[in-house]
Amino acid sequence: MNIKKSKIYILLVMLLLLTSGCWDNRDINHRVMPVVLGVSKESEEEYKAYLQVPILQEDGIKTQIITGVGKTINEIVDKTSANLESNVDLLHIKVIVIDRAFAEEGVKDLISGIMRSREIPSKALVAICEEDMDEFFKKMSQVELSDGTALLDYFEKNAGWNPQIALTRVWHVYRSIHSYTKDVAIPIIRLGESTLIEQAGSAVIKNGAMLDEINSDETLLYNAFQGMSAHGKIEVLDEGSVLILDNGLNFASRLENELPILTLELQLEVMILEVKGDPTIEKIEKELEKLLKPRFENMITKLKDSEADILGIGQLFRKEIPRAQLKDWRSKYYPNLKFNLTVDVTIQNSGNLKEPGE
Amino acid sequence: MDKSLYVVFMYIVSHAGLILFLYPENIIASTTQGHWVPIVIEVFVHFFILTVFLKGLNYFPKQNDLITIYTSAGKIIAFLFLVPIFLYFLTSNIITVRGYSEIITIVFLSNTPLWAIMVVLLAISSYLAIKGVEAIFRTGVLIFILLFPLIIFILVISFQNVDWHYVYPLWVEDFSFFSQSSYYKSYFAIGGVFLFLGFIRASIPYKNKYVLIAATAVIPIFLLSVYIPILVFGQATASTFLYPFVLAVDSINLTWFMFDRMTMFFLLSIIIFILLFISLVLWMIVRVLSKCIAPSIKPFYLVVAVSLLIFIICLFIPSWKDVEQLFLWNTILRFYVILGVPISVVILGIKSRLEGDIK
Repeated sequence: MNIKKSKIYILLVMLLLLTSGCWDNRDINHRVMPVVLGVSKESEEEYKAYLQVPILQEDGIKTQIITGVGKTINEIVDKTSANLESNVDLLHIKVIVIDRAFAEEGVKDLISGIMRSREIPSKALVAICEEDMDEFFKKMSQVELSDGTALLDYFEKNAGWNPQIALTRVWHVYRSIHSYTKDVAIPIIRLGESTLIEQAGSAVIKNGAMLDEINSDETLLYNAFQGMSAHGKIEVLDEGSVLILDNGLNFASRLENELPILTLELQLEVMILEVKGDPTIEKIEKELEKLLKPRFENMITKLKDSEADILGIGQLFRKEIPRAQLKDWRSKYYPNLKFNLTVDVTIQNSGNLKEPGE
Repeated sequence: MDKSLYVVFMYIVSHAGLILFLYPENIIASTTQGHWVPIVIEVFVHFFILTVFLKGLNYFPKQNDLITIYTSAGKIIAFLFLVPIFLYFLTSNIITVRGYSEIITIVFLSNTPLWAIMVVLLAISSYLAIKGVEAIFRTGVLIFILLFPLIIFILVISFQNVDWHYVYPLWVEDFSFFSQSSYYKSYFAIGGVFLFLGFIRASIPYKNKYVLIAATAVIPIFLLSVYIPILVFGQATASTFLYPFVLAVDSINLTWFMFDRMTMFFLLSIIIFILLFISLVLWMIVRVLSKCIAPSIKPFYLVVAVSLLIFIICLFIPSWKDVEQLFLWNTILRFYVILGVPISVVILGIKSRLEGDIK
């Protein structure tokens, strides 16, 4: 009995070795784990990749930039792995920075490649860089006290994110390549003069290529449209400035003679921060409505012309348009979209002081 | 002693393991809109064959299992049904072992050779199968308690990224999914499991009511496994994925959760569920073998021989395309088994009841 039992234990211990899945295992000190991946086009056929790797040192963390040129991202990683004393592990990439010229050309293959390989997580954030990439990454590595995650922190909702920054992940971009009715906006960043990064609006992406751009005010509306909270954004008027506390969006969609008609109502709840002079509450509300309405209208009109549906308005018409015709949403229905927008502002409170104009 | 709860847990766990992998891809490939229609039809078929099968079994005394029912009905009937059942179990196990080890290499163990993964999968399930059906079911209870809450947690939080507009169009335009082979492939999720009810009657007594409750509990998993990827990505995008549900889980982003990738937990639980399923099918294969062909050989040697055979056949399947081909061949066998077995059991049951009355 005991011999039989011990045999089973030996078998179980052997299974333990196998089931750990440690095959060709490399210890953590032999791995290089980049946090940021930058991609630009070196020539017609070749990519240039920038890997920002945090390196642990005695007096803190330093950032190293590894660059490589090749026909595919995997080839570059493979080459750099061969040249380095450690193995490059892409599993921890958090942000992918794409060169603007490359984004304008189209990143369809790059995004599909990332989705296919599963090495790079599909929830990595995507950003477009307006700057020269060499310059950008050089600056990134020079930041003092940087633990290599500055760019990630910039986008993290619990760190440096602001409601006027688009938050787009790899799978969003992949979805926009295939989806009939939904495109996506990718944040554009550049080096700041006094801060490390400066945001420069968002890129309008259709079928994996950058078509147009919207500024950061419009990105706020884009985010509000996605159901994200605009809480914390400050709007400045002639009469003072207000802080957005809450936002909501109501839609009603219908199809008339094959023409899509959309009624939109943007609701904002704001708090007064500063006032100039003695405007009434009504006046501030009116002014804010007057500020936001044309901004929203201009954006939708601009997007309609570019045939890129980053707001996902087509999503609202999935009920009305049969699937066979939905395929032509961007080219047939979307440019003819008629919309009716109302902005409804409520001043929730006026801070510690009583309401002005009373 | 009534052990219905064992059966309920096993039923849910093995269905979850089968549904959450290939099922979403099959359904998404079979229709472009109104996915709930094919799913609901499938659920009805599931309930139909299950009730017919249970009804048929009820005509026989508890100690008769499926094998004795067929063998006592004559050699021809035994041959007509037991050989397909045997072949069906064997091919399903080959597909499961080969398919799931491929998934493991694609998703997380990219450096590990395929054979090593298959060895581990087969070794653990053979060990369980040797220990017998009681051991398998008891492990099922343990695993259900340990891992099922995790699966439910993942199913709930995967709603994080859904866009409800993707639910439209709600209705199917035509019933063209009936002409898609991938729709019939999706019956793999219901075809494999329910037969065990005919094998365990003597060793693990259960009440029919509980089996039907378990089958009802599985319905949400059918719907969620397809609708979560559809709502996150939309039909046009989800149809480009091999494992839509895995990618939907991959898109979950929880900053407060200490682990970065939810997919690992999800996949490991599913693979453990599948291990149980493989060992159960292995046990049933050996049961058929030892009762009909080789009663003198110890089950231990039969299990080892069968899993070796499965391993060798798996080694000869070079690519994912060939797995799909095998899947397609298995489909024909599957429909013969899932429709033929319940109906034949009812007929045999009524016949034996009538004969008993005459006597």
